[in-house]
Parts: sequence; structure tokens; C-alpha cells
Amino acid sequence: MTVDAPFTDLFPPLDYEKEMKRWKHLFQVLNEPEPKIGHTPKTEVWRKNKSVLWHYPAKQKKYEIPLFFVYSLFNKPYILDIAPKASVIEGLTNRGYDVYLLDWGTPGYEDKNIGLDTYIQKYLRTSVKRAIRHSGAQEITLVGYCLGGTIAAIYASIAEEPIKNLIVATVPIDFSTLAGPDKWAEGLRNGDINVDRLVDVYGVIPSSYVEAMFRAVSAPIYFSHYTMLLNRADDQLYVDKWRRMNKWTTDHVSFAGEAFRQLTNDLFKENKLVKGELMIGNKYADLNNIKSNLFVISSTKDNLVLEPQSLPIMDLVSSKDKTYKLVEAGHISLALTGLFAVVVDEWASVRSNPL
Amino acid sequence: MSTKKPNDPFDSFKRYSEIMEKQINDFIFLLSNNNEFVKMANTGTEANSRYLEMFKKNQEALAGALNIPTRNDLANIASLTIQTEGKIETLEEQIWGLQDTLKTQSKEIETVVEVSKEIIKLTKQLKTELVKTKKELADSKDLQSELQEIKFELNKLNNLKDEVEILKGHVEKDTPKEPVLTGADSTK
Repeated sequence: MTVDAPFTDLFPPLDYEKEMKRWKHLFQVLNEPEPKIGHTPKTEVWRKNKSVLWHYPAKQKKYEIPLFFVYSLFNKPYILDIAPKASVIEGLTNRGYDVYLLDWGTPGYEDKNIGLDTYIQKYLRTSVKRAIRHSGAQEITLVGYCLGGTIAAIYASIAEEPIKNLIVATVPIDFSTLAGPDKWAEGLRNGDINVDRLVDVYGVIPSSYVEAMFRAVSAPIYFSHYTMLLNRADDQLYVDKWRRMNKWTTDHVSFAGEAFRQLTNDLFKENKLVKGELMIGNKYADLNNIKSNLFVISSTKDNLVLEPQSLPIMDLVSSKDKTYKLVEAGHISLALTGLFAVVVDEWASVRSNPL
Repeated sequence: MSTKKPNDPFDSFKRYSEIMEKQINDFIFLLSNNNEFVKMANTGTEANSRYLEMFKKNQEALAGALNIPTRNDLANIASLTIQTEGKIETLEEQIWGLQDTLKTQSKEIETVVEVSKEIIKLTKQLKTELVKTKKELADSKDLQSELQEIKFELNKLNNLKDEVEILKGHVEKDTPKEPVLTGADSTK
């Protein structure tokens, strides 16, 4: 005699196979070691303090002028080489470019006096010189991402080295517009928020504070990525991507105190770069000095660096060849999906002296 | 077999969690986006910095008394290493400069050597030409002396010829003429 279970009509059946996969993958996420990143073959060209200059040789060299990547000081640059087939660097080396990447490293307490000018003059300039010498090329293409783009633009404005092309993506140039609550930006500008004492005491801003700062500006409470994972955990590809992305988003680096002070006071507060008043060493970083070919990329779904922050660079430089492109992506997904390589190649291929 | 679409309870869970997250963040935004919060946050940061500063000072004093190195001491040592690294880098760049100068100079030397080789080649050629010319000159001198000799011989021959002519003249003069028979008695 069979008895129908009660309420079966009320509850739709579960897909047991899917559920098995979901919980198996979740178990993996919780127990397996962190995913491996940085697959593209590379060699160390130069090292100073914690910074390293990496060289990723082209699979089959098609262009004379190499690409030199400058990444943000807030995060680790492995987002540019996060996974095979989705890696920006791999995409570019496959397309025939020699790629150099400056990894700033994680500053320690002894680096508390490193300011933006030291980073630019002693680290970036030296590594660009090394890359030019190592590649044997006569010129170089600078590619800056996020704050790395700001640093690349500042450097390009005072550079004596032959920079043929400057590419900046999701770059904050004009700090009169800031993501996050407007009263916070107002408080920063009128002196209600002052970081000087905090910088003096801490020396180096801890990575947890940097992460908290970004969280506070974007979404202070953030748990939807976990529910998203729970929802799509049966898809192994999604789980892999999620793990890499989650590793990177929580992997902030500490920030050298003096650089943090300059960034907050000179850029966030006084917006000196746009005004041409930013001093690097004994030179004014005037964007008007930039004559290299310029390519600016903004992403439509970027909620960290807004389009009005990037656009003003187009009018501030003296470059004759300048292009602006708005791509359908987010602040991180532009690099995470490898789309950045495609966009860079489209523009740089005709400007990199094809062999 | 059931024709119903399988139930995924996490679909709705995800949707609700997103809505909830957004609402909480909007609420926090409303609470924090005002001057009072900004000032309070700054006061909190200042207080935190002040206490930490005091704590560090005491720690430094205590470490000094106990003869224990502090983070500052270690940072100073690390800075020395970084400075040394910088100096080595400057030296390396200077070596590059020297290498470049040497390369340029060796290229110049190579050019000079090339030119010298050409000159040597040309000199050798000229020398050969000179030897050849000298030989030709010697040959021509020999020829000249031979010619002189021939001329001398010819002169001699000419003299001889003249003498022969003279002798011939004399001989002709000394030879008596045959009497030519003339008249009646010629048939005798």
C-alpha cells in the first residue's frame, strides 16, 4: 500500500544532482588552499626594496615598442594576470607585445617616508629606464590602471624618458568629484577630516584600514557575494572565478604613510593635479607637458572611479593623437575578464611600430 | 515523473539578500552622510591617534630602559639597507654610462681601424706600383743603354761606311785606266 506524502504539491521538487554539486563546491571553497594566480611566464628584471619589475616576453614578438604596466598602490597587480585565458597580460603577450609590469610591493614600517615623488622618481622612472634598456627599444608605452593611471600620468608630465604612448584606464584625474558620501568629500576639503596625525602615528596605513576605506566608500555592509556564490555554487567555472576574485578583493596592501598624506591632501583635498600645482621633486607635474599619444578608457559600470574623474585629462594634455573610449564593464571586471587586453591592442597595435 | 520545474531555494535567498544589503547600505549612507558624523569620525580618529601616540612613547621609553630595540630601530636599519641599494643602483647606472661610452668609443676605434686598413691596403698597392715602376724604370734604363750602345755601334758603322766610301774613292782613284785603242791601228 502506497501512501502519498502530504504537501507534495505545495513544495516543488529539489534538483538533487545540482544540490550535491553546490555543496561539494562550497566545501571546496572552504577547505581548499587559495587558487593559484600569475600563470603567464615571467622573469625578474630589477628589484629595489619591495618593488619588482617583471618582464613577460611576447609569444611571438610583433611590435617593437613594449608595454609597461603601472598598477594602483592600493591593490596587488595580479588582477592583470589572474587566470589563464582571462589574463590581460597573457592576452597581450599572445598578441605579440613584450610586457613589463612594475609591482610596487607591500611597504613596511621602514617605508613610511616614501611619498608619491619617491615612488615616481626613484621607482617608476628607474624601472622605465631598466625596461627600455632591457627591451632594446627606443620608446615605450605606459599603461596605467586606476591609481596607477594617475601615477603614470603624473610621471609622463615630468618624464625625460621616451614615452611614445600613454594609456590610462579607469583613472582618477579630477578629484573634485568623489565616489562615496558627498559630506565626507566636503569634510575632507574644508579640513573636518585630517589624516596627518593618523599618518604620523601609524607610519604605514595598515591593509585592513585600506580595505575598510574602500568598503566605507562603496558598500559598508557586503555579503551579497556570498549569497551569489551559494546560488551559483553548482557551476565549477563560476566557483573558480569567484575564488580568484574574492582573493584579490580582500588582498589589499598597506599604504606608505607619506604617499597617503600626499594623496589625501594634494589630490583628494586640493585637487592639485588638475590645477597643475602638484610638485614632484622640483618640478610641477603639469599635464599640459604630456605630448605622447593618449588613450583614455572609462567603464560604464564603474562605481569607484566615475567618468567625470577621468574625462578632464583629454583637455589638459597637449597630445595631438588622443582617444577616449567608454567600455561596457565595471572597475574590476575590465581587467578580470581580460577585455582590457582587447581594448589596448585595438589602439596600440598601430602605434607600437609593428615589426 | 514530475513536470514541475525543480525548486532552487537559493534563487530567492540571493534576491532577498541583495535587497537587504542595499537597504542596509542606504540606511548607513543616510546616517553617515552629514557633517556631524564627519566631525565625530574625525574626533574618533584623532583620539585613537593620540592614545596610540602616547602608548608608543611609553613603549619607546620602556624599550630604551630595558635595552630592547624597537620597531623604529629596526626601521632605521632597514632604511640603511635601502639606501645602500639605492647607491648600488646609482653605481650600476654609472657603469651603464661607462659601458655605453666604451661601446661608442670601440665603434669609433672600429671605424678608425677600418680606415687604417684601407690606408694600409692603398699603401701596399702604391708600394707594389712603385716597385713595378722602379723595375720598369730599370728596364727602360737598360733599354736606353742598349740603345746608346746600338747608337754607338751605328755611329761606328757609319764611320766605317764613311771609311769604306773613302777607301772606295781612293781605290777608284788609284786604279789605272785601260788604254782605249783608237785610230787605224786598232785592228792589230
